[in-house]
Amino acid sequence: MVNYLIVLFSVTLVYFAAAERLIIYIRLLAIQGLLLCGIAVFELNEINTVNLLFIVTETLIIKTLLIPYLLSRIISRSGVSKVHRQATPGFYLLLLSILSLLVSVILAGAMINQYINVIYMAVALYTLLTGLLLIITHKLIISHLIGFLIVENAVFMFSLAIGSRMPALINIGILLDIFVGVLILGFFGLRLKPHTNELTMLKD
Amino acid sequence: MPGVILIFISALFFPGIILRTKSIASGRKGPGIFQPLKDIAVLLRKGSVFSGTTGIIFQIAPVIALSTLVCASLLLPFANQRSLISFGGDFIFFAYLIGLGKFFSIIAALDTGSSFEGMGANREAFFSMLIEPAFFILMATFAMFTGHTSFSGIFNHFFLTGNDYVLIFSIIGIFLFTQIAMVENSRVPVDDPRTHLELTMIHEVMILDNSGFDKALIHITSYLKFAVYGSLMYNIIVPSGWNIFLHVILFLAVQLLFAVAIGLLESFRARNKMNKNPKYLLTISAIAWISFVIVLILTNKLTV
Repeated sequence: MVNYLIVLFSVTLVYFAAAERLIIYIRLLAIQGLLLCGIAVFELNEINTVNLLFIVTETLIIKTLLIPYLLSRIISRSGVSKVHRQATPGFYLLLLSILSLLVSVILAGAMINQYINVIYMAVALYTLLTGLLLIITHKLIISHLIGFLIVENAVFMFSLAIGSRMPALINIGILLDIFVGVLILGFFGLRLKPHTNELTMLKD
Repeated sequence: MPGVILIFISALFFPGIILRTKSIASGRKGPGIFQPLKDIAVLLRKGSVFSGTTGIIFQIAPVIALSTLVCASLLLPFANQRSLISFGGDFIFFAYLIGLGKFFSIIAALDTGSSFEGMGANREAFFSMLIEPAFFILMATFAMFTGHTSFSGIFNHFFLTGNDYVLIFSIIGIFLFTQIAMVENSRVPVDDPRTHLELTMIHEVMILDNSGFDKALIHITSYLKFAVYGSLMYNIIVPSGWNIFLHVILFLAVQLLFAVAIGLLESFRARNKMNKNPKYLLTISAIAWISFVIVLILTNKLTV
């Protein structure tokens, strides 16, 4: 069952590379939150119940519901619906995404040892590279935020790769969620104005 | 041998079923199932007209394209029988036979010296190049999954692996073969055979100079290609060990369903913008690539 969820998680990452609308990115983030919840339930049955309950609540409420809701509010308020300011065309992003899957599989294969779950490591590396690719190939700051959220999911996956040996890493992953929450609230606090590119463009 | 005969029989009715489905879906009376066959019969009775600028390449290309596809159909197994030609890695031979036919169609289009046909040839070559990795990765996935490298070996052992993931591979296989068949036959969403504007054409613009007998051969090639991909799909849906008569019925049913599915897809799906096509084709390869990673996981090539 866990393998099915991991495969679905990888498919969402390919979809990230192919999608062009921000609303699809948000839906994919919500699906990823749901899949991470499922993976955590099936995989982390060795850690104590309170910790597991906390992780499940966090993935289900914050990752699946709260963050996608806040992001959709930002998109509706800013009036930006399409990723039309890509620095690189989507074709190359997809090509890089496929290459990054290849690199992830090779790297994870090279890191074989008894403490690391190679499947999780491969998917975590792929998630990390997809997030980074999204950040470096998109110009909209909202895309950067989504890229950061994907990187954060990668950290969660990394924590699963190491299993229950390093529970502190899972807590660090959850801490990142709180940082992102503050960042998103910061967007709200700055009062977005529709049809101006105040918060949608990098001012460099 | 029965498999090859069934492929030829289903190829006869394939375009008619697509046309009927499209007619029904759009609420038109439309032509009958045998109309494409009647059109081909008319074309076969006509002679071919060749432009003065064309050479021998243009004249032999339709025959080569058809013969490569007939040879490719000999590689496909039926039920639990081996195909007429079978050897390790024959799916690579299959892909390159189809590629050879396409290559001759492309250079025949270039041979005419028409800028429109050159443009169509350019697009056809580019899109074929992008869809080819999807086919190879998918077949490599099946080869790793079953432990065999020939079509006969792969399809005869596909359901014998006893693996729970066979359903996932069947679904991915059906999806990818459908997409590959649509692209290889220049259908929606990559190309649209109904288009009448040369600038937006891909395959149709390549065969503008062909007429009469040659045009009939090109159409027959296209119909046969659909039936060949339908046969590939049938092999990953139906377990090979069943009764042969049941296989014949199921083969025709799968081809019928495939033709209806194509008709429905063409009725309810818009054609892509030309600049969206490369991304669309690469997404198909990406899905094939994920199926390959799944099989890596399954065969414990990734695990500790």
